[in-house]
Amino acid sequence: MFDRRADLKTIRRCKLGEEDAFQEILARYRAPIYNLCWRMTRNDEDARDLAQEIFIKTFTLLDRFDEQFAFSSWLFRIATNHCIDHLRRHRLRFLSVERDGGGDDEEAEMQIAAVGPEPDVELERREALERLEEVIGELPPHYRVITLLRHDQQLSYEEIAESLRLPLGTVKARIHRARNMIQQLLAARKYDI
Amino acid sequence: MNDQHSGKFPHLDCAECERRLQDYLDGGLAKPESMQIFLHVRECARCAAELKRLEDLVALLEALPAHEPPRDFDARVLAAVPYASYRAMARLRRARVPVFLEADRLPAWIRSPAVRYGGLAAAAVAAAAAVTDLAPAGVLAIAAVGLVPEAATLLQGLGRRVALAVGQPRNGA
Repeated sequence: MFDRRADLKTIRRCKLGEEDAFQEILARYRAPIYNLCWRMTRNDEDARDLAQEIFIKTFTLLDRFDEQFAFSSWLFRIATNHCIDHLRRHRLRFLSVERDGGGDDEEAEMQIAAVGPEPDVELERREALERLEEVIGELPPHYRVITLLRHDQQLSYEEIAESLRLPLGTVKARIHRARNMIQQLLAARKYDI
Repeated sequence: MNDQHSGKFPHLDCAECERRLQDYLDGGLAKPESMQIFLHVRECARCAAELKRLEDLVALLEALPAHEPPRDFDARVLAAVPYASYRAMARLRRARVPVFLEADRLPAWIRSPAVRYGGLAAAAVAAAAAVTDLAPAGVLAIAAVGLVPEAATLLQGLGRRVALAVGQPRNGA
């Protein structure tokens, strides 16, 4: 999905200190990394802080980037580890928020209120997507991140294996298991997608 | 539920089909296996429904809406980039030589003083023997071989110095 050769050229320019090159990398990866962080945390502020920390870390460590791998894989590895570390550090807070149900409900209300009148089909689809986001947010972090890399970022199994440094078979098994978990969670809540 | 799949594709039961359904959906099966699933699903309503559920789920997963980062996102990141140190490092990077001129591209045993000086000594003895007409045929070849380690090391060092002189940073970056 990401252009490995173009990335390498830009990274080499970054290593020479060219400001435009850093801007180019941000333009390419800002949205995917921010979205990954948002879906891992389901919180605007945390997503912003995490995504910024990930880029700053990446740009500071560019000298350690091994050019035989894809830059995207390296960046997603840093992002994945950073998000999972963040979730581990804030586990208690997340659990209490989930139990209260406060923040998520408010946000869901705001999103629904902003939708306005539209055809039933589109409304149903939006609701299904909201339910799905909710359920993804309940997957264990390792399953959540692998689902997002596959379906949200559209990475191939091979790219995910390279990013997470996992055997291809493990990647496949986790993705399959994550899909099964999502179906089970949806069914348990009687959500029909 | 399923049954009589004719001909060259062996029969597949529902449990096996269900086990391979995700691989099938991801295009991760070989053609014959994929055809087995296709034939099974065509005739088995339960597995067809399971496949449909999975397809719908994947389609929805891939349609999740994007979330937009705040406007000052780039500015905050770019303000923290260590441009100065990259520029300072760039001077060193640009002074690098082509790979074949890196010292470690020559095997360590060729670069070792024992081999180099031993080779020189052998070459000198062979050359002296050739001059005095006491040497057997082919002694000059021995002298040439003896010179190789020292010559290779010297030539590579010289090439490295030339490359470094030519490759000095030009724009002061």
